[in-house]
Amino acid sequence: MNRQVSDPGRTDRQGMPVRTENYTASRPPEWQGQLGGCGIASCISLNGDLICGDRIARMLTIMEERENGLGAGYACYGLFPQRKEQYCLQFFFDDEDGKCNAEEFMSGRLDILHDEKVFTRERSTIAPPYPIVWRYFAEVPERRSWKGDLDLGEEDYLVELVQHINGNVEKAFCVSSGKDMAVFKGNGYSYEIADFYDLPRYSGTMWLSHSRFPTNSPAWWAGAHPLSLLDWGVCHNGEITSYGVNRKLVEMNGYRCTVLTDTEVVTYLWDLMVRRNRLPVEVAAFAMAPSTFHDIALMPPAERRLAEWLRITYREAFLNGPFSIIVGRSQPETTLIALADRKKLRPMIAGLSPDGSVAYCASEESAIRIVEPEARTWAPEAGNPFIAVTGKGVLRRGIEPSFQGVRM
Amino acid sequence: MSDPKITAKRSDHRLPERFVPRIDYDLCRVCKRCINECSYQALEFKGSKVVSAGGCVACGRCIAVCPANCIEIRPVPPQFAPHGNWSERSRRSILAQASSGGVLLSSCGADDPHPAIFDDLLLDAAQVTNPSIDPLREPVETVTYLGRRPGKLEVCDGKVIIREDDTPLIRMDMPLMFGHISLGSISYNAQKALFMAAKELNIVAGSGEGGLHPDFYQYADRICSEVASGRFGIKPEYLKGVAAVEIKIGQGAKPGHGGHLPGEKVTTMISETRMIPRGTDALSPYPHHDIYSIEDLAQLISVLKESTEYRLPVGVKIAAVHNVGAIASGLVRAGADFLTVDGFKGGTGAAPRVIRDHAGLPVEVAIAAVDRRLTQEGLRNRVTVCAGGGIRSSADMIKALALGADVVMVSTAAMIAMGCRVCQQCHRGLCSWGIATQRDDLTDRLDPEVAATRIVRLFQAWNEELKEVLGAMGIDAVESLVGNRDRLRYRGPNPKIAEVMNVKHIGEGWG
Repeated sequence: MNRQVSDPGRTDRQGMPVRTENYTASRPPEWQGQLGGCGIASCISLNGDLICGDRIARMLTIMEERENGLGAGYACYGLFPQRKEQYCLQFFFDDEDGKCNAEEFMSGRLDILHDEKVFTRERSTIAPPYPIVWRYFAEVPERRSWKGDLDLGEEDYLVELVQHINGNVEKAFCVSSGKDMAVFKGNGYSYEIADFYDLPRYSGTMWLSHSRFPTNSPAWWAGAHPLSLLDWGVCHNGEITSYGVNRKLVEMNGYRCTVLTDTEVVTYLWDLMVRRNRLPVEVAAFAMAPSTFHDIALMPPAERRLAEWLRITYREAFLNGPFSIIVGRSQPETTLIALADRKKLRPMIAGLSPDGSVAYCASEESAIRIVEPEARTWAPEAGNPFIAVTGKGVLRRGIEPSFQGVRM
Repeated sequence: MSDPKITAKRSDHRLPERFVPRIDYDLCRVCKRCINECSYQALEFKGSKVVSAGGCVACGRCIAVCPANCIEIRPVPPQFAPHGNWSERSRRSILAQASSGGVLLSSCGADDPHPAIFDDLLLDAAQVTNPSIDPLREPVETVTYLGRRPGKLEVCDGKVIIREDDTPLIRMDMPLMFGHISLGSISYNAQKALFMAAKELNIVAGSGEGGLHPDFYQYADRICSEVASGRFGIKPEYLKGVAAVEIKIGQGAKPGHGGHLPGEKVTTMISETRMIPRGTDALSPYPHHDIYSIEDLAQLISVLKESTEYRLPVGVKIAAVHNVGAIASGLVRAGADFLTVDGFKGGTGAAPRVIRDHAGLPVEVAIAAVDRRLTQEGLRNRVTVCAGGGIRSSADMIKALALGADVVMVSTAAMIAMGCRVCQQCHRGLCSWGIATQRDDLTDRLDPEVAATRIVRLFQAWNEELKEVLGAMGIDAVESLVGNRDRLRYRGPNPKIAEVMNVKHIGEGWG
């Protein structure tokens, strides 16, 4: 267990002392999840130009009232153009043992083509211990020797492996496992984490980011946002009051909850509904933040039928309570999704650069204005998803009818 | 050896009264209405006064009808020498059985003061990190579906395929249903009131095992027809126009027993509806004699689905017993579209007291066990779980939902709304309120429209309270409460119960 008492003088922005325990890959023993408010920000290049990490760090950092130094993170998409067909497994290790454990487990189960240390630098303001951050580029072998012949597809196989590692391999935690993307997160303020990873050294077509204002649960690097599985990355501001129900659905479908937060469950729900059940993104978004039955009754017949059956079938995917989420994926194309709960109890604003080349979503307008002063901004409606795809543009602004463009 | 020459009269011991009606003679107008209304003949006119005649059961009818408001019913203080182990109840039971030599019968739910686990559960509420919702200002939904759910929707070329014919569902406006109370155990007027209320509330009412009176076909789309081991009254009309069909395996008040309707209650009307001879005891067998195993049950489910052309959800009701989780899993795998779990404290029109008071599983634990087992097996989102048995209030209902029930089944509370005072004499057929009786002079006392209105008001009030609690929890649709045990805490004496139910102890938070 990599647990040290860190700098006893660390305080949050209000000068309140914060817990001194600091965990990296291993889950804190008393960990029961976390709650609190957050800031989220994202940007996506619609024409495929690269966006420098400095830009997302400025977006997130300006919302300083939304964090208190207990967790921040970034996810970058489209940053490995040379290895875009390989899975990038990015890890936190408590120590060298953790690295050995993970490598031993992956040996023979994944074809590791390349691995490298992820650049990090010590910061005097972030108390040690730091995790060892390492990434592996891998392919899934033809022969998948794992728990017998389950006849798993490539992606399901990888999900199994990653969930096994995070639940069972000691001192190791796989923080992201998708193609052409990686997650950079940790215990600290947004600017500290940006500096820790030297974000400006990375450029990608899409960035997600998150800063946290939690209550005083122990700090856990792996528990910070974005949470990720395969190429899904999720940043979440809110508290899902239906967590116990949502968790049941993902567990019934074979996901194992290791982080014990609602955000983790949201990540698995996207994977379940969109990748595995192949629902269109806006249809899955409807299931998560559905219209009331009263409003459904006012829909045209085909839409009404779909809406009712989504509510019946995916009842357990309904995310109740306040939330706004930013979701990213790289497969089959780089996609940014932003969604707020159906009463819009948490903020979400969208924006577009004047030349239409970059789209933004964030908790606050300031996050957009700081990098794009002339941006055109608007507020997506409650429960109405914003969807943008690199190379295609903004497909939904979050103000359209629920099933516009959906085949019925 | 029981000597038949020793008659009951000679061997009976006179027992002290349990209740005595007391009349304030300063106020009594000697109208004798109480005497006429007392179906237990516990009052009589002597000299110039109305006096107690013994045998009062505290049904409260006399109080309700007295124009002078001069009657009160007093429980008689303990008449037995105090003893910590030999309670008055146990001694009364022994004396009664020594006189009758029979099985002690009773009705309503188990009346021993077993603490309800519901009372040991506390609900959560939203503060700061999530906002609470005022249901008077913002929508809070309680629409509930009953039946099988598909688990996932098929998608073909980006098009969502809906096969609604595969999964017939009933939509209800609230997560409540009336339990199965048969015509026979209750009167025509009482059952009519339940059906009228179900229609008005847009929920479902159980038919009970006594068939369906032709007058009630008009409510069929809100009725769940029960197929019990006696197969009473099962004919095409009973199965086709209704909302759902339910196979009754067991009942919470008497797990392992069948129904028992004494011949005195089998009037012409009852005999026609049940399709049995008049005046005969209607005894439904303990098991279904065509169901001795789970595969037999699967066959009956198939038969019912086939004969209703797959248009109706077909469910199975079981009494909550110790292995309820595994049994529930078997029911789903046998094809049940919904299952109903009836808890230890469930009501009855007649049951042997030894079973009623000593067999079964509290519904709280049963719900949690079923919900957990079905979740573990990946079945929970395929099926609707109904549960009941001792639901006394909206708080019980809300806790049952949070423990994992989709629909909460309520019977006794609806009867109390009609007039029942839970005097536990249903098995005698003398119900002074006209509910659990077939005597015409008594059934006439119950106006079905008034009774239905009172039930509707009660359930609407409970549903409003449900919305208030949901809103306080920051939840705006009831499905997000179902099985959400995170929002419950246990504060009772036995933390093992909390562990079994997978409910955290008070003081345990998260984050």
